[in-house]
Amino acid sequence: MPPLLPQSKADKNLITRRTAILGVGGIGVFGTLAARLYQLQVLQAENYRTLSDNNRFNFNMLMPERGEIRDRFGVALARNEQNFRLVIIPERTDEIDKTLDRVSRISPLSPGQRDRIQKDIQQNPKFVPILVKDNIDWETFSALNMRLHALPGIVSEAGHGRAYPENGVFSHVLGYIGRAGANDVEVDDDPLLKQPTFRIGKTGVEAAEEKTLRGSSGQLKVEVNARGRIVREWPDPATRATPGKDVWLTLDAELQEFAAKQFATEDEGDDSGGVCVIDIITGELRTLLSMPTFDANLFVSGLSQTDMDRMNNDPKRPQYNKAIAGGYPPASTFKMAVMLAALESNLVDPAKTVFCSGKVQLGNRTFHCWKRQGHGRMDMRDALKNSCDTYFYEIAQVIGIDRIADVARRLGLGAAYDISIGGAISGIVPDGVWKQERLGTGWRAGDTLNASIGQGFVLATPLQLAVMTARIANTIDAVVPHLVISQTLPVFEPLDIDAEHLAYVRDAMWAVTSEPGGTAFRHNPFGVDPSVKGMEFAGKTGTGQVRGISTAERLTGIRKNAKLPWKLRDHSIFVGFAPYDRPRFAIGTIVEHGGSGSKRAADISRAVLGEALRRDGSVDMSTAETGALE
Amino acid sequence: MVAQSRGFRGAAPATGGSLATKLFEINWLLPTLVGVLGLVGVTMIFSATDGVWRYGAFQHFVRVGACGLVMLVVALVDIRVWYRLAYPIYAVGLLLLVGVEFFGVEVNGSMRWLDFGVARLQPSEVMKPAIALALARYYHDLPSHRVSHIVGLIGSLILLALPMSLILRQPDLGTTLLLGTTGVVVIYLAGISWRVIGFASAFSIVGIPLFFKYGLKPYQQERVLTFLDPSRDPSGASYHITQSKIALGSGGVNGKGFMQGTQRQGEYVPENQTDFIFTVIGEEFGLVGGMLTITIYMAVIGVCLWLSLQCKEMFAKLLILGLTTTFTLYIFINLGMVMGLVPVVGVPLPLISYGGTVILAVMGGFGLILSAHLHRGVELPRSA
Repeated sequence: MPPLLPQSKADKNLITRRTAILGVGGIGVFGTLAARLYQLQVLQAENYRTLSDNNRFNFNMLMPERGEIRDRFGVALARNEQNFRLVIIPERTDEIDKTLDRVSRISPLSPGQRDRIQKDIQQNPKFVPILVKDNIDWETFSALNMRLHALPGIVSEAGHGRAYPENGVFSHVLGYIGRAGANDVEVDDDPLLKQPTFRIGKTGVEAAEEKTLRGSSGQLKVEVNARGRIVREWPDPATRATPGKDVWLTLDAELQEFAAKQFATEDEGDDSGGVCVIDIITGELRTLLSMPTFDANLFVSGLSQTDMDRMNNDPKRPQYNKAIAGGYPPASTFKMAVMLAALESNLVDPAKTVFCSGKVQLGNRTFHCWKRQGHGRMDMRDALKNSCDTYFYEIAQVIGIDRIADVARRLGLGAAYDISIGGAISGIVPDGVWKQERLGTGWRAGDTLNASIGQGFVLATPLQLAVMTARIANTIDAVVPHLVISQTLPVFEPLDIDAEHLAYVRDAMWAVTSEPGGTAFRHNPFGVDPSVKGMEFAGKTGTGQVRGISTAERLTGIRKNAKLPWKLRDHSIFVGFAPYDRPRFAIGTIVEHGGSGSKRAADISRAVLGEALRRDGSVDMSTAETGALE
Repeated sequence: MVAQSRGFRGAAPATGGSLATKLFEINWLLPTLVGVLGLVGVTMIFSATDGVWRYGAFQHFVRVGACGLVMLVVALVDIRVWYRLAYPIYAVGLLLLVGVEFFGVEVNGSMRWLDFGVARLQPSEVMKPAIALALARYYHDLPSHRVSHIVGLIGSLILLALPMSLILRQPDLGTTLLLGTTGVVVIYLAGISWRVIGFASAFSIVGIPLFFKYGLKPYQQERVLTFLDPSRDPSGASYHITQSKIALGSGGVNGKGFMQGTQRQGEYVPENQTDFIFTVIGEEFGLVGGMLTITIYMAVIGVCLWLSLQCKEMFAKLLILGLTTTFTLYIFINLGMVMGLVPVVGVPLPLISYGGTVILAVMGGFGLILSAHLHRGVELPRSA
């Protein structure tokens, strides 16, 4: 019978034996697994628990609300406004481009904005909301909300955004905010800066007072999943964000707006220039204006290329803060410094007259007085009242540039003031040392003559001219300007100029504006309003030359400013203070290419000073000041 | 007559019994343990899918039930039928694998699936019981003195090499190795001489490095290398291992509690309802849950070995042991991978991982084991 084969028995024993070996192997395998599990879950459990918690928890930053910027009376100049915006959550739609096209039909998106959105989408996880557009007006926002069902991935939000409500007249002062750049992160290690929606001050007060305005971040413990999405929030430990503090400025919002209106012209838009009104006692700036202005809100929402081009190509350079960074030849407004230098030197008798024939010969060069036919005999007071260049040519040669430069510096020229906003330039008060250093050539007598009428190398800003005038009006203190109200009162250095000499100069400045024949004479300069009627003021005109005048032109007659192209017209300059008998405010005004100082700049200064006085008398300072210092 | 008496020795004969009798005579311990593992799977998939019943747990439940029925049907079919069908089933398995080659659906960079419209099938899973059947049949038919003979060896190696090369091309390194190891174990059980085993081992020491260099895709090489040196790529290939170990380790002895696993909630461990489901067990039920699971698996394997000892036909023994080896390897590779002992190769945890074809193949395999045991008194033809 064949079914049973001889090796069957042997087979059976063999396979049983081998199965037993296999079973032992199996026990070994499972023993290894069990040992490994024990190692992971008992011996190393603590370690893995920590790793698990690290996986699980994140600390999310809570962003503080930015402080507001207010004027001296509490008017908000920069505030946080409800801001309607659209964001897109890329993971919620497959058709990002199509969705953005549809948004564009209701609220246009520029190619630049589209690029930015696409870039942000690529650089962030798919669940992170990416800003599509913010600062959307209510009507557009409503229209978009109505169509949200056709815009997959789009979410509408109402958040807080920075707004500058005062029509641009504070743009240069306030600056604007923006996303922190690589440079900002380098110098400031506050982790807030790395938050994509956080904004920091970029320029102006926003940047200078960043520490006060920013506040500090809070922290929230959140549980996140592997892709960073928040699973839940943990109440503890959570710290609230500390909102930034408000910053109060010394400026008067209404006065600033009033000043801005004075720059309007009938046919050429706003004039270009700067005006600065300063409290001659405290150094507080009531107005610090550069014209024309720009809308800082544009910078917050993202400037379009067209806006940017328009600003950059505007010959009136709207972004440029001319009040503190525009250096102009002060022209005849510099003559007070020359006068004071002469009086302080005791080398010139103010009563002694000089004959003005219309020009002065120095070597082979001729220096002209602005009045071609000459002023005749002039003493020091008449020379200022009539702005006689010849007189100043003569006395400058007597006292020399070093004395003039010294007094000019004591009056506050040639110094860059730290008024909390960057960009203030120092201007130039030239002397021999300066010229050698800067130009490598020696000082020449002709340079002194040019400087004596505020031309040549001399440069000053509207702010410096206001400070100079404030110091002349103050008599005792070397007033220093400031812009931000702080807890501490400013302490000034003594001016250290003879009070009688200053009184003499002030009288001469009064003659300029208040005596018939003065270059800026006007009856009732501030109008007939009872609060200011009869108030007198003192000042000085200046006409800054921006082009050389050829001998040929002098012979054929100097062309009138109005007939010249805008760029070639003289700068119109005026400094002044009021009231004359007990001064409160000083002003420095420059109108670029505004023609004679006796007209455009003088008119603006008169109006602004009058308004400053009117507001100073009518506003109840007691309540306003306490509010400002709280 | 001697043969007949030998044939009916031992447990009750089951050849002529009614269906009810046969059902009664099935070894019910094995289906019970298998059912328990299926329910563990349902529970853990429920947790892995954040407690949403219809995201997998329900499907798994239905599949375990349906495949359980298949298992019983397979068990009731006479072992002689399976003996006759061994090669045809193997052939169908090969055809399906060839089909993948041409009509396969690509998932995660490898072609493992055939799409039949109503259902997707993973032919490499079908091949696992098929290879056990084919090899058991092969060695049953092969006279034992030929087992260590070169011709006998070549026959079995061809049976192995055909599906292995097709699966490696998909590419699926885990299943290839699993199949190969199963084959080697069956050959070993069939009684190949230690001399040949020694030869083969020496050959492997030389052959494996060559295979690594020329037989593996770069991503497979990367996985092996990352396993050997995890610092190679902390965020890429070793991310699975790291996160999986964190899940297990942070579970500690008692676990974080059902549905409380933070690694799971945070979706840190990818594929945690399929290949990495053991991380959910380890994280939420700790060492206790993990050891309990391993113990149930060991019980299943122990029962299978015990059943094989009761059989006397070579085909039945080798079939049971081959299928048990495959099942053991599944568990070892999967758990070893999850615990960071072996490279990440993508092998599911049988009966617990979500996945239809695997359950069908594994439970079909248990059906074959039960059938072999149930029909242990049946005599199979054997050539000389």
